[in-house]
Amino acid sequence: MSILQYNGGAVIAMKGLNCVGICSDLRLGLQQQTVAMNFKKVFQITDKLYVGLTGLATDVLSLEHLLNFRCKLYKLKENREISPKAFGAMLSSLLYEKRFGPWFSEPVVCGLDANNNAFLSGMDLIGAPVFSDDFTVAGTCTQNLHGMCEALYRPNMDPEELFEVLSQCLLSAVDRDALSGWGAVVHIITPEGTITRTLKCRQD
Amino acid sequence: MSRRYDQSTTTFSPEGRLHQVEYAIEAINNAGTCIGLQSSNGIVLAAEKRVISKLLAPSKTSEKTYTIDDHAVTLVAGLTADANILIQKAQLNSLRYYHDYQTPMPIEQIVKSVCNYKQSYTQFGGLRPFGVAFLFAGYDELLGFQLYQSDPSGNYSGWKATVIGQNNQAGKSILKTDFKIDNTLSNNLQLAVKILLKTMDSTTPTPDRIEISSLTKDEDGNIVHRFITDDEVAKLIQQIQSEVEAEEKKSEAVTGDI
Repeated sequence: MSILQYNGGAVIAMKGLNCVGICSDLRLGLQQQTVAMNFKKVFQITDKLYVGLTGLATDVLSLEHLLNFRCKLYKLKENREISPKAFGAMLSSLLYEKRFGPWFSEPVVCGLDANNNAFLSGMDLIGAPVFSDDFTVAGTCTQNLHGMCEALYRPNMDPEELFEVLSQCLLSAVDRDALSGWGAVVHIITPEGTITRTLKCRQD
Repeated sequence: MSRRYDQSTTTFSPEGRLHQVEYAIEAINNAGTCIGLQSSNGIVLAAEKRVISKLLAPSKTSEKTYTIDDHAVTLVAGLTADANILIQKAQLNSLRYYHDYQTPMPIEQIVKSVCNYKQSYTQFGGLRPFGVAFLFAGYDELLGFQLYQSDPSGNYSGWKATVIGQNNQAGKSILKTDFKIDNTLSNNLQLAVKILLKTMDSTTPTPDRIEISSLTKDEDGNIVHRFITDDEVAKLIQQIQSEVEAEEKKSEAVTGDI
């Protein structure tokens, strides 16, 4: 079984009208055994920039620490917050640095830039980025996630609609994956601020 | 006599002094005054800026006050270029510590790491020492709010209130009489302005030559570093000047003609 499936997990990021959303499940497992139901995989970098990290849990945490370190240093040097595009490039570079001994994590970058334009990007474990206009998925059930997003996504959704669509896509997808689920957290990022909601869902 | 022993930073003189280090410390005494005042609920940092020319472009960053991390800031007196190197080091050390231990670096350890680096330039390498003195202000859970002073030799000491830079002796004598350990933050803001007015060499002090900031903790427990606005500084200057005039009038009334 693949190392990227050892702990399980799922992340979706989606674009709406002047807003973006990112959500993840909360399961942490050791192959089939569920160990925790409060393991968040989406982390805040700045007010309007979030990153979701799937894959091996130890690498999820290590990358989170590394990214916080690099972004804090960026802010001290440049006297401003890092932009989503620059952050994505930095993360891609960080991952490729370990090309022959990689971080076992596939991230999703999601945020609004200084002009409140949406930025969505997914990467493989060695940093190859893909920039989307609609949605990006990662985790152990990407086929399910892709299917749900293709079915339910429509462009220019407002924050409330985006929340509904994101939640339904994630919930339905993880219900057909043994290694993901056990709760979910959704962040909707708008120019006015970010709303975070925890979803009630099947605890199995 | 000292001429023979002051060319190399790393050689003692016959009297057991390191002349290059002492000369570096002298360089600080020509720098813009820096004041640090500690109270139970925060620290006030004040500095005199050197405005060389009106043609200078307004800078987004300060030449006196620098952020090391969310919980630590510093005032610089001396060669700004030298200070930049040391501050970059301090920032890296602080962030590396947070990366390793997921907890903010204690202030004394930040100060120590900078000072140990400064000391190494007085013992080997043949390079000149850094011509910078710092006032470090910060908060950690271990010891609360702290204020430290460091000089080019790599020595550091903790203070409740101190002044470095030009006219620091005048500043220190005002501290001896006017600084109280139970001062509040606003008492200290007024005291800082009072000291700056004495140490600055202009008769008409203006807010654009003064930089004051405070380091406090808000209700959520976050450390906040706030610069006092030009309007607030102008008000403080007016307040202190009228107080000083009132005191002078009083002492005139007491003396009077014989």
